[in-house]
Amino acid sequence: MRVLPLLLLLNSFPVIADINIFACEPEWASLSQELGGNNIRVFSATSGLQDPHHIQARPSLIAKIRQADLLVCTGAELEIGWLPLLQKKSGNASIQTGAAGNFMATNYVKLLDVPVALDRSLGDIHSAGNPHIQTSPLNILLVAKALSQRLQKIDAENASLYQQRWEGFSQRWQAAIEKWQQQAIPLKGVAVVVQHDNWSYLFDWLKIKKVAALEVKPGVPPTVEDLNKVLNQIKATPAKMVINAAYQPSRATDWLVDKAAITKVTLPFTVGGDEQSENLFALFDDTIQRLLDANK
Amino acid sequence: MKNTVRFIFAGAVFAFITPVFADEISEIKAELAQMRSEYEQRIQQLEQRLAKAEAANKEVASEVAIVKNTPVPKTHRINDFNPAISLVLNGQYNHYSESPDNYVLSGYSLQNEAGLVPQGFSLGESEITLSASVDQLFSGQATFALADEDGNVDIGIEEAFIETLGLGYGATVRAGRFFSPIGYLNERHAHAWNFSDAPLIYRGLFGDQLTTDGVKLSFVLPTDQLIEIGGTIGSGGHYPGNSGHRGIGDWLIFAKTGGDIGISHSWQAGVSHWESSPKDRAFGNGNNPVSFSGDTNISNLSLIYKWAPNGNPTQQNFTLQSDFFYQHENGQLFNSDTSMGAAYNAQHYGGYIEGIYQFIPHWRAGLRYDHLGSSFTRLSNTLLSDANFDLTNTNPRRYSFMLEWLPSEFSRIRAQVNYDQSSRIDDTQFFLQYTVNIGTHGAHSY
Repeated sequence: MRVLPLLLLLNSFPVIADINIFACEPEWASLSQELGGNNIRVFSATSGLQDPHHIQARPSLIAKIRQADLLVCTGAELEIGWLPLLQKKSGNASIQTGAAGNFMATNYVKLLDVPVALDRSLGDIHSAGNPHIQTSPLNILLVAKALSQRLQKIDAENASLYQQRWEGFSQRWQAAIEKWQQQAIPLKGVAVVVQHDNWSYLFDWLKIKKVAALEVKPGVPPTVEDLNKVLNQIKATPAKMVINAAYQPSRATDWLVDKAAITKVTLPFTVGGDEQSENLFALFDDTIQRLLDANK
Repeated sequence: MKNTVRFIFAGAVFAFITPVFADEISEIKAELAQMRSEYEQRIQQLEQRLAKAEAANKEVASEVAIVKNTPVPKTHRINDFNPAISLVLNGQYNHYSESPDNYVLSGYSLQNEAGLVPQGFSLGESEITLSASVDQLFSGQATFALADEDGNVDIGIEEAFIETLGLGYGATVRAGRFFSPIGYLNERHAHAWNFSDAPLIYRGLFGDQLTTDGVKLSFVLPTDQLIEIGGTIGSGGHYPGNSGHRGIGDWLIFAKTGGDIGISHSWQAGVSHWESSPKDRAFGNGNNPVSFSGDTNISNLSLIYKWAPNGNPTQQNFTLQSDFFYQHENGQLFNSDTSMGAAYNAQHYGGYIEGIYQFIPHWRAGLRYDHLGSSFTRLSNTLLSDANFDLTNTNPRRYSFMLEWLPSEFSRIRAQVNYDQSSRIDDTQFFLQYTVNIGTHGAHSY
């Protein structure tokens, strides 16, 4: 008799079809949260201070991917060192390649920097193109649309809810894009140097002009000779700023700032890259503010 | 009427050419200023409209991008479905203070290639791994090791197995030949070890590594802390088992658990137990007439701890790992030359602990300590001498130091020094080694 009210109480809880999302990077965790709201639970495999290329298939990640209904990752070989291993070890059918629970963001945007030659002597190159697509909000919009469709497919019961959230997000995001573009007008055509070539989409969006990269070969630390080359180049044709990502040590950048009249900008790169970048909106607010401050 | 008009016109003209008074000048100035500010306002408005129009264009551009994004048909080549291939090349230069031919591990019978690699330059093992998805259910992987044995090329099948792809419920089934899930290091290929030689306990118990020809079943439980359980059954044909079983020749059970502590620390612990019943397994070092028949079982405990600041191992990281084994063998020794037999009961135990520190990007240094022991409750002195079994040192020990340079994820150059107290005579060993990986990107396993 005493058990009965307890059972009734348990029954009275609303049944929420929680979709477990395993996001490989924090930007996709943030986007999943925007589009899924209370219907999803999201786990981010990496933080804004980690290099998403150099992650190990840690025990905690295996445990998380085992329970995932949906994988939201970048793709284009960014996670090649650890994601296939996690998939294999998971024993989880729903997130295997080709399954509905396997979502790769780079499948929904046009990739830049597709290499013409594939050779490991050229450094850490990705054969499918530059995978760092989250640096442009236009890409985010494209991915968001596809991700919402995927959520509606996986959790058909709540499809209308996801559709609503997508429409809301899309409106807010497009308004935000308009605002950012207005703010960023002074950045048009500004000449910049980058430490590592991972800003192609941002520059393409804001029409910022990359004049040199300190890492000549991606992933290979620059030699003194490489650095001097850039130094001589910007002495001849000055650049306004040198950009590095928060997750990377800024040794090469600092060297250049020390030697030339150039402003250092450390950009968050993704959600959680710095204190301000708590979500996708804040990420671009902060990114543009930092660029504008350096451009003064 | 005409005159009136003419008069007004003349008056107006006159008014224009009349000298202007001071108060009129200031009035005009004020008017001009007003006009200017009005124009400035209008220009500003126009500028804003222009910017808005530009932004709208951007929006259109983003929509164009959506259209543009419709996938372009790719050209397909006939070899698109070929498996991923990776080739590991390895070469080394070795120097020992004692002759490697005399190497023994006191209290242990060394099998197969478990001795020291030859002095001077040697090619070591080259490895080819092929892997691919078989279909929607299976993936397949094979690793072939090529080694030069006194001028003869020896091709070994290190691993060759099929494995299920996401069976569901956290289950994975593997079948074929694979490194047994006993201990932490055992499942890793030699080129992925942190030192150029196996820990002494692996050398002594398994002849470097334990292999299973059979089936493995494992489950990852649906918990936030990793819990994996599983087991294998196999032919029992690999040392310390030996061939000749009709059905199941060996079995193993294992459990692993692990997780993160904060963002910078992670760990894993494992236990496993293996059993087999070898018949007429050669005993002692090298070819000799003495053999062992009976039961052998091995238990393992392994611990791994890793540190990477903010979970980002690229700059600095530290790994502490340790495996401990306990083996019990109970049965008979038999000398086929003299037809003499005697009871045999032995315990072997020991392990290693190693710490690897990446102090700056691309550079790692490591220390390893090996410690072994053995005890025999029954051991015939006659058979002992027949087998030429070394029992001079009750506790073989070894200290190793290594320094690595890793120019990229795909190459490594390593220098290593061992101070080896495996037997009666202490030996100082030096290795200089390169290891490179060509082809498919390797996996960053934990």
